[in-house]
Amino acid sequence: MTDIFRFLAQSMRYPASEWFNEDFWSVLLSLLDELQWQEDKAELIRVKAGAKDFLEDVQIEHTRLFINAIPHVVAAPYASVHCKGDGTLYGMIAEQTKKFYREKGFALAKENDLPDHIVYELEFLAILANDDPDGQKKFLETLFTPWFKIFKSKVLEEAHHPYYRVVMNLIDFFTREEL
Amino acid sequence: MSFKVTRRKFLQTASIAAATLPLAKVVSAETGFVRDPFTPPGSLEGTQTVTGGVCEMCFWRCQLVGKVRDKKLVKLEGNPKSIDNGKSICARGNAGIKLLYDPDRLKFPLKNVGERGKPVWKQISWQEALDECGSKLKAVQDKYGSQGIAMFPHGASAKYPMDFFEKVVGTHNVSEASFFQCRGIRDMAYMATFGLAPDENVDMANAKAIFLIGCHFGENVHVSHVKKYLKGLENGAKLIVVDPRYSASAAKSDIWVKIKPATDTAFLLAVMNYLVQKDKYDKKFVEAHCVGFEEFKKGISHASLDWAAKICDVPAKQIQEVAEVLAASAPNVSVHPGRHVSWYGTDFQRIRAHACLTALLGAIGVKGGFVKGKGVKVKGITWPTVAEGGEEHNLRLMADKYHYAPPGTPTELIRDACITGKPYPIKGCVVWGQNPMQTIPNQQKMVDALKQMDFIMCVDVMPTDITMYADILLPEACYLERYDFIKTGTQWNFTDKQQQYIAPRMPLVDAMFERKDEIWITNEIAKRMGYGDKIPVNSLEEKINKELAGVNLSIEQLKKEDGIHIQDGKDPYGVPEDFEVQLYNEDLADKGYPAVPTYIAVEEAPKGFTRLVYGRSPVHTFNRTQNNVWLHNAMPVNPLWLNDEIAMKMGLKDGDEIELVNSEGVKSSSKTVIKVTPGIRKDTVYMAHGYGSKNPLLTVGFHAGADDQQLITKLAIDPETGCNGMRNNFVKIVKDGKSLDIPA
Repeated sequence: MTDIFRFLAQSMRYPASEWFNEDFWSVLLSLLDELQWQEDKAELIRVKAGAKDFLEDVQIEHTRLFINAIPHVVAAPYASVHCKGDGTLYGMIAEQTKKFYREKGFALAKENDLPDHIVYELEFLAILANDDPDGQKKFLETLFTPWFKIFKSKVLEEAHHPYYRVVMNLIDFFTREEL
Repeated sequence: MSFKVTRRKFLQTASIAAATLPLAKVVSAETGFVRDPFTPPGSLEGTQTVTGGVCEMCFWRCQLVGKVRDKKLVKLEGNPKSIDNGKSICARGNAGIKLLYDPDRLKFPLKNVGERGKPVWKQISWQEALDECGSKLKAVQDKYGSQGIAMFPHGASAKYPMDFFEKVVGTHNVSEASFFQCRGIRDMAYMATFGLAPDENVDMANAKAIFLIGCHFGENVHVSHVKKYLKGLENGAKLIVVDPRYSASAAKSDIWVKIKPATDTAFLLAVMNYLVQKDKYDKKFVEAHCVGFEEFKKGISHASLDWAAKICDVPAKQIQEVAEVLAASAPNVSVHPGRHVSWYGTDFQRIRAHACLTALLGAIGVKGGFVKGKGVKVKGITWPTVAEGGEEHNLRLMADKYHYAPPGTPTELIRDACITGKPYPIKGCVVWGQNPMQTIPNQQKMVDALKQMDFIMCVDVMPTDITMYADILLPEACYLERYDFIKTGTQWNFTDKQQQYIAPRMPLVDAMFERKDEIWITNEIAKRMGYGDKIPVNSLEEKINKELAGVNLSIEQLKKEDGIHIQDGKDPYGVPEDFEVQLYNEDLADKGYPAVPTYIAVEEAPKGFTRLVYGRSPVHTFNRTQNNVWLHNAMPVNPLWLNDEIAMKMGLKDGDEIELVNSEGVKSSSKTVIKVTPGIRKDTVYMAHGYGSKNPLLTVGFHAGADDQQLITKLAIDPETGCNGMRNNFVKIVKDGKSLDIPA
């Protein structure tokens, strides 16, 4: 699962040409094959084939969904915007998340970054997946799932591009507590 | 979507899947985590006090400390060492945290791949953003000359880039809202009278009378200034407030002059004429320091109490009463110079009257009077002047008008040139920390000026209305995240022990995301425009250190001194022998302007309309704070003050939701509510400025309240300064889609 979580984390980074390339795309489609999500795969292929500049389309969508956009950013990818606070950054849940990392013996490499960004949380799940299933379960239950379900529904509701709908469903699939 | 494979099944075959899918090959080698041995709880739970903060929720710049817990700023407080604001900060200062952590803030460089005004944003790298800014601005410069670039700067961070564009690139077309839509008129009118800009230097704490014309302390909260004001009241100063509205200051006044808007100059002339006619002015001061008294006396001799009473719609006896209180309190009188004074397009004359009245009362250099504190001078480090071309393309000189304009170029000359292409085209625009959509009247004119540009770049902390027109939008570190401005001054009460302070802004936390400061951004653009060899400093830290070295200090030393250096000060009282007051200003006469303060009538409201005036909310700094969650909750909309008798005639009640339409047919694009009150004249409505953003990127501030600036479409230009007057606009109330006449 480590590789899965790291792949999911990667898929939520800003899509740059260095990594959002044919190799990545091919692995994504293969993963959908393994899961037998053929409709999603077909939609992604169709949209990519019809795009004038597919990378830019995904970049615009990422910016609109997660950074700044008209009418407003759809879903800032930070737990504290959605959960246990007043909608601003670095709320209580962000501090709790940072504390959890620390208790497990980890810290952010860029210590001033916000700890509750979805990319960090998925990367941390990758770390826990190695040898701390209890920690992973607790992290999912107390810190990840409470906000991700809100975040996911906002993205699914407002995403224009199928890529992020697929990624949301993949993250949901691999982080659901029940098997 | 169909979930044909369960998670359990997938995981059971995970090894097969992992072998099949080269997942690891397509992810970054690095993760965002490092090993960090766990430290037992307790040692990291404490809150650290970080000193060196200087607020910029408004421009008063109170000194702060930050309470920081595990790299997170959790609280802001006044720096206990401060001799200026002390431990106190205002509601806005407290709410700075919510600016810092506002999820709507700009985080990364953005490129507009849509239209100006209807942007579609795409995150881009700094490299790409700076390359585009540098190359596009250079292209404009090459094709149209340096004068083809206009700049609209505001705030401490805009000074360095402004100097770059003026001194190095060589454009005169820089227009600061703080001058041309705010205090520039005041500064220039006092310059033409006292030879110096007044700031807000009145010694209210030690005054026997405080005279406010349109100032509304309590709504306009600058901490040390309000401390002076309240100390004065506590000491028994008489408070005279001239205002069409029962403002927070009027509520504390001994005399409230419920004046008709736009007639203040007539009121001041009558007060001065009364003092002169009754020999109640300070003859000794006038003889020693004033020039042109006889011409002045003659020039205001028509201003009888009855003349002014009729114009101002106040009793003659009240004008007399004001004059008598001022005379009885002289010379210990604070005649406040005002701050935002760009009201009617005749404001230079009114502010000249403030200064002349101050002189007649001898209220200069004495306790309670006009007194400039003697703070430390810290020499700034900035760009060298290397641009060639001199004044050749200076629009103001080419027009041969606005001879008393503040520094920069009057906004309307720039906008007119943009729109007409005459006398030359302006095709590049740099907006830095200013929101011209909500600071400059006539929004459509601004849009027209912007739309014809070849290139527009904006630098800001928030996605304000103007940023919707940017081609490239750059995210700036805010005042809590950067070194910057060095605040200097004295103890707030001039009769306390004389002290001076030096307080450079130092970051309380590191900048998040990819936000950068003004030195880095400007230097990178300069390099790309071919001016890399002119760069004076490489970082804000270096700049501040070099500036502090001039007063034998350093950042390191300031950190040891808890962010503020304090040293012995000098007695601010007294008047230099050569101090001169131009009651009659010959230079003004030579250029065709009234040489003695003169009342000039302005347009009256058309039938069915009423005059719209605006002001400050105590919890907002205009549009700069409209998206702040705490401040928004404290005052989410800006109610329209409407006289109770008028409201009754119109069938309106407190809390009714309304829109406004002005006499030129412009309708507000968002709603506000009515505040029914006897505390405003029947011929005036009032609202706080800085609400009703049209940028949906501001999740909180979008369409919250109504935007007064949208309704200010009639342009009035002050002839001496070229600054805008913004209270000559008239509105009707629209309720349930129906436009209602306002009875006279």
